[in-house]
This record gives sequence, structure tokens and C-alpha cells, in this order.
Amino acid sequence: MPDTHALVNEFVIKLKKRKVEGSKATAKLTAELLRSVISQQRIPHTNQAVALIDAIKSVGEQLIAANPVERDGDKVTAAKVQGFMRTGGVGLWEEATGGREKEREDGDSFGELAVGNIVRRVLHIIREEDLSLTTAAIGGLSLSAVSDDEDDVEQDGHPVLSAAAVAAAARSTLRPPSLQTLLEDLPHSAAAPPTSSSGGDSDGKSKSADKSSRSRKLKHNVIEAVNELIQDIATCHEQIAEQAVEHIHQNEVILTLGSSITVIEFLCAAKEKKRSFRVFVAEGAPRYQGHVLAKELVARGLQTTVITDSAVFAMISRVNMVIVGAHAVMANGGIIAPVGLNMVALAAQRHAVPFVVLAGIHKLCPLYPHNPEVLLNELKSPSELLDFGEFSDCLDFGSGTGYPLLHVVNPAFDYVPPKLVSLFITDTGGHNASYMYRLIADYYSADDFVVQRRPS
Amino acid sequence: MLEAFQESIKDYSTPPEKALIRDLTAKINCYVSFLIECRPLSISMGNAIRFLKTRIVKLPLTLSESEAKATLLSDIDRFINEKIILADKVIVRHAVTKIRDGDVLLTYGSSSAVEMICLHAHDIGKQFRVVVVDSRPKLEGRLLLHRLVRKGITCTYTHINAVSYIMHEVNRVFLGASSVLSNGTVYSRVGTACVAMVAHQFHVPVLICCEAYKFYERVQLDSICSNELGDPDAISKVPGRKEINYLDDWANRENLQLLNLIYDATPSDYVSMIITDYGMIPPTSVPVIVREYRKEHLWI
Repeated sequence: MPDTHALVNEFVIKLKKRKVEGSKATAKLTAELLRSVISQQRIPHTNQAVALIDAIKSVGEQLIAANPVERDGDKVTAAKVQGFMRTGGVGLWEEATGGREKEREDGDSFGELAVGNIVRRVLHIIREEDLSLTTAAIGGLSLSAVSDDEDDVEQDGHPVLSAAAVAAAARSTLRPPSLQTLLEDLPHSAAAPPTSSSGGDSDGKSKSADKSSRSRKLKHNVIEAVNELIQDIATCHEQIAEQAVEHIHQNEVILTLGSSITVIEFLCAAKEKKRSFRVFVAEGAPRYQGHVLAKELVARGLQTTVITDSAVFAMISRVNMVIVGAHAVMANGGIIAPVGLNMVALAAQRHAVPFVVLAGIHKLCPLYPHNPEVLLNELKSPSELLDFGEFSDCLDFGSGTGYPLLHVVNPAFDYVPPKLVSLFITDTGGHNASYMYRLIADYYSADDFVVQRRPS
Repeated sequence: MLEAFQESIKDYSTPPEKALIRDLTAKINCYVSFLIECRPLSISMGNAIRFLKTRIVKLPLTLSESEAKATLLSDIDRFINEKIILADKVIVRHAVTKIRDGDVLLTYGSSSAVEMICLHAHDIGKQFRVVVVDSRPKLEGRLLLHRLVRKGITCTYTHINAVSYIMHEVNRVFLGASSVLSNGTVYSRVGTACVAMVAHQFHVPVLICCEAYKFYERVQLDSICSNELGDPDAISKVPGRKEINYLDDWANRENLQLLNLIYDATPSDYVSMIITDYGMIPPTSVPVIVREYRKEHLWI
């Protein structure tokens, strides 16, 4: 399918060059791309789901491997890291970067959390649809009384398996994994080939007609479900904003840092319902997204005050609530958020101010954060902090002693542990940080945590 | 400021039919109000002025004008010498004992005491690395960074948002203070509280280096009740980044305010130790120092 390959390559290039901004846009584009992959995928009559899953996994692997951290622009960072290791810098640094190298080999690194989420969602959708079709087909066939000869043969073929298959299907991957499901997995997949072989005995035409209608049905269902997913991603802001009125009362003071469209919509929804409140916006150096947010809020008529990030501790004693958006929500309830939010969360905890995180469900990632400061982070260019001209002699490797005296650290993200988060507001409602792991079972399958095709 | 006062005392001459003490005190008050109009006084400046006024009031009436002036000038000299210059040397000597080889020190903004500590430790040959944390709008850390790197100390530079990222590498945090209040709260450049809080979270000891003349009898619980406001335009303009101009016409928008705080108050439980010229004390001993040594020095 040269068409799909071209699409996939285009998207991969866009990801690498960072032309796609924001997890919502990334998620939407990924879902649309996977939808076109599915619709153009020609799937065989047998094992349709497995074929679809394979195809999605191969595309998913490519997308996830398009890791922006390896861009040319960050060669300075990479060189610095190596230089540090050469000079035997602090032991932790070596450990950390060594760990980072290793993690990257596993193929699932930071930049693509949103993409990985969507890939896994689609895989889960495929499994679900396949499952419901199988149970429906088997259930329907075993219930129908009158039929033709061919159908009779089919029915005769199927009921042999129907008991075992229905039993297996009923207790299936949609449940949390247990010893039973693991052991039943084998008979369940063995149930599929006998179906096709018994089908092969009967009349070819009706069988193939039925199979192709089934395969078309699977594809159709999957594409419908993916469309729903795209719809959900697009409307997650509205659903989150609807809950604003429950949380913002009169005369409140809200603190936020950086900029997030979800937060803007949330605050504006509360303003629509005639709640009066004021907002402190911390500017969020060095991207200064706080300035953008402040301008937007003022345009919509909210009382806004811009403060520097260093003043967060000073101001938080007068704040009623901290509302922020997250880049990703991890399986333990911790969040990956713009840099500086860990400091804000600690200050909020100290002053007993609720720390509320707004996140669409597409940001929920089934991975557990191990060493998130290093492995789930991105270091950006030092030029945002320091002017190269002033300090170029110190940053250079070639000067004097052979290693630079000056290192500049500019991480893009912060990890906030779950115990600092008071509440998650998602499009499905408000949840505690300790509840987020349950939502994973709703949206992802356990088989898909590692999106890599097993070598066959 | 004290040297400026010295100059003014040298040039002062008592007008006829007026007592030196009262007239000089009145003149000093004028100068102080002028200074306050330019910029609110810092706490250490307030302490120094109070010292000067007490010395003036305690002048024996029998002294002639030139003798009185000479006494005052030498008093001020002694204050500067003992309380500032020598105090700094003692602080540096104490603090350097807390730096071991292979340490990673973190400092925030630009404090003269901390800079002296780093330079001295480097001079006596200790191997260590410094992380300089900086923040807007003053970006004072860059100046400190310049001076340290010129001397050959390996430095890392970052901004205050990245403090959680860098803190796991750090062994000690050295901070300067504008003043230490009687309940142990450290009153210093805005952002110090954030750094101390994150250090506390990561179980890294926080050492405040502060000369004793900066201690003050007042108490304060948070940073809002008493603070100084800086220039709001410093927030809307980002030097060196012309593309950040979203807030250029902030004055025209009535809903928008820019708040530029200069100081903040760090609670005493984030501070492990305060290094002063009287020794290394816990933050709970600050009112003791204020009480005992303030009285003693007034009687000198």
C-alpha cells in the first residue's frame, strides 16, 4: 500500500520536525492516519482482527520511534551529555543518561506519549469490535432456527465450537488479566482456525460471502469507533469545561502556570455562568506561555494578573485553587506537565490549596513512570536561557582544559507525583489520582502495552 | 549608604544657635526620606540608620563639633569594618568547612556572601561544582555566573522552573538573605522560598549566609503583608527575545495587571542553618541573637 506508506512517512517527518504542536493535535492526526490505514488495509478472510492489529502495530512502531529528542537541533545537548560523561561528572548524571540511552532502545520514548496512547486505543478498539462481532455471530447462529442447507452446514460446523468459543469470548481480554484468561488464551485463538476450516467444508460462496460481510463489518465497526474517538478528542474541551461551574465559586482566586487551551475554556465557561473570580498567571519561563494565556484571558474579560515564576510561593497563600493542564497522565496518577509545575504543586500542598489537573482522556498513558525526570523529559536548547555570545568561550569544548566549565540545563517538562494532585477533571468526570489506573482497563488492552511486533 | 552618610557628616557644619545632636538628626532624617522616595529602604539599611541615630544621640554634650564629627566617622567606620567586612570573612571561614570535595552546591540569584564563599573555597583547593539558579525579571544569576566561571569554577546554569529537575544532583544549597526576621523567617529575593521548598522536599540542607546586622525584631508570616513592588514593565519585556511581545500594551487593558514582587519570606522550617558572624545557628536562635547582641552593641 504505497499510499499508506506515503501518509505514514509524511506524518513521521512532521513529528520529527516538531511541526505538530500539542497533544490534542497530535492525537487527532494520529487517529485520522490510523483510520486511513485501516480503511485501505486489505485484510484476509481469516484472522481479520490479527491482520488489522499487525498492520496498526507496524505503523504504530514507526510513529513511536519518531522521537523528537534525537533531532539535530539538540546535538549540543547530546554533546554536552557525552562530554560530561567523559569528564566523569557526578555519578548520577552518568546513570541518568545511561538509563536514557537504554530506554530509547526499547523504542518507546517520551515525545510520542500521545501518539502511543492513540495507537493503543485503536488496537483496543479492534480487539473489542472483533470480540463483540464474534460473540454476536456465534450467539446469532446458534439461536437461529430456520436456515438453508448451507447455513445448516455452517451452523453444524460452528456449534461444535460455540460452547467453548462463547465461554472463552464471554470471559475474555476485556476483563483484567488473571491466571484463567492467560491459560484460556491458547484455546481461544485455537478456536479461530477451526472455524475457518469447518467453513471451508461447506459451500464456498456463501461462506465467503458471509466472511467478507463479516470482515467488512469488522472494518466498518472499527472505523466507526475510530471516528467516535476522533470526535471525543475534538470535544474533550467542552466536556471538561461543563464541569467548571461545580468547582469555581464566587470571588475566588485561581493560579495557573503556562498556557493550556483546556484551562482557557474551563475558566471562560465559569465566567459565562456569571462567576466572578480573578486569575494569577505565572509566566512560565523560558517559553513565556503565561503571557499568551494572560492576553487571551483578558480578551475574554477576566481579571488577570501576571506574576513571575519565582513569585509563586509568595502569592499562593492568597490563592484558592490551582488549575493546570497536563501534557500526559501516567498510569500511577502522576502527570507530565510543563516545567515549573512540580514547584507549584509543592507550594500548593504546603498551603493546603487544591491542585486540580485538567486532562482529556486521550492523555492517559498506560505506562508507569520510571525515573520520569530523565526518561520522560526533553532538554531544550540553552539559547533560551543564555546568550551564546557572552559565554561562548566557556561553553566550548576546545578551550583550555578540554571540557567546558559551563553547562546549561533547560528541561521542557516536570513530573508531578500523584500525591500532590488533588483532583483530575477529565471528559468523563472528576477522579482522584489513585483512580486513574482503573480507567486504563477501559481504554487499553494489556497485550498492547509494548507496541512492538513480536518477531515471527 | 553608610559611606554616603560619612561624606555628608564630613561636610556638615552646625548652624549657629542649634544643638549638634538635634540638628544632625534632623538632617539625617531628611536624607533618609529622600532615599525612601527613590526606593523603599531595605531592612539592613534601616538597621544601619538606627545605629547611626543612636550613636548621634549618645554623643556626650561636652564634645566640640570637630570631635563629635570625628567620633561619628570612626563609629561608622567601625560598623562597616566589624559588621560587614569582617563579618563576611568569618562567615566565609565557617561556611567553607561545610563544603566537601566532590560536592554540588546550588545557589540562587546573586548573593555577595555566597560568591565569596565559592571563590574562597575554590582558592583553598576544594573540588566542587556550582549550580546557579536564575529567575526573571532581574536575572541576577548571570552576573554571578560570569564571575564564577572567570575564576575557573565549573558551573551549571538553569532557571527557577527547572529546580525540581536539577535538585536530585545537589548536595547543599547556599542562599543569601536580605534580612532574617525574629521568627526565623528569611526575607530575601523572590524565588528563594521556592528553592528552599524544593530543597527541603529532596532532603538537601539549606544554609543561609547572613551577617548579623541584618537581623530584625519584626515578625512576618507571609510575603504579602510587607513587600516591595518593582517595575511592571520588567515583566512584559523579555530582553533578548523580541518575539515575546504579547503584553506590550498591558497598560491599556483594564483587566490586566503585572505584579513584580522583589522579596519573599521563606518559612523557618525550610532552613537548616544560618551562618552568621556569631557562628552557625539554627533559625530558632535568631531572636536570641537579636536580643543579646543588639543590646550589647548599643552600649559600646
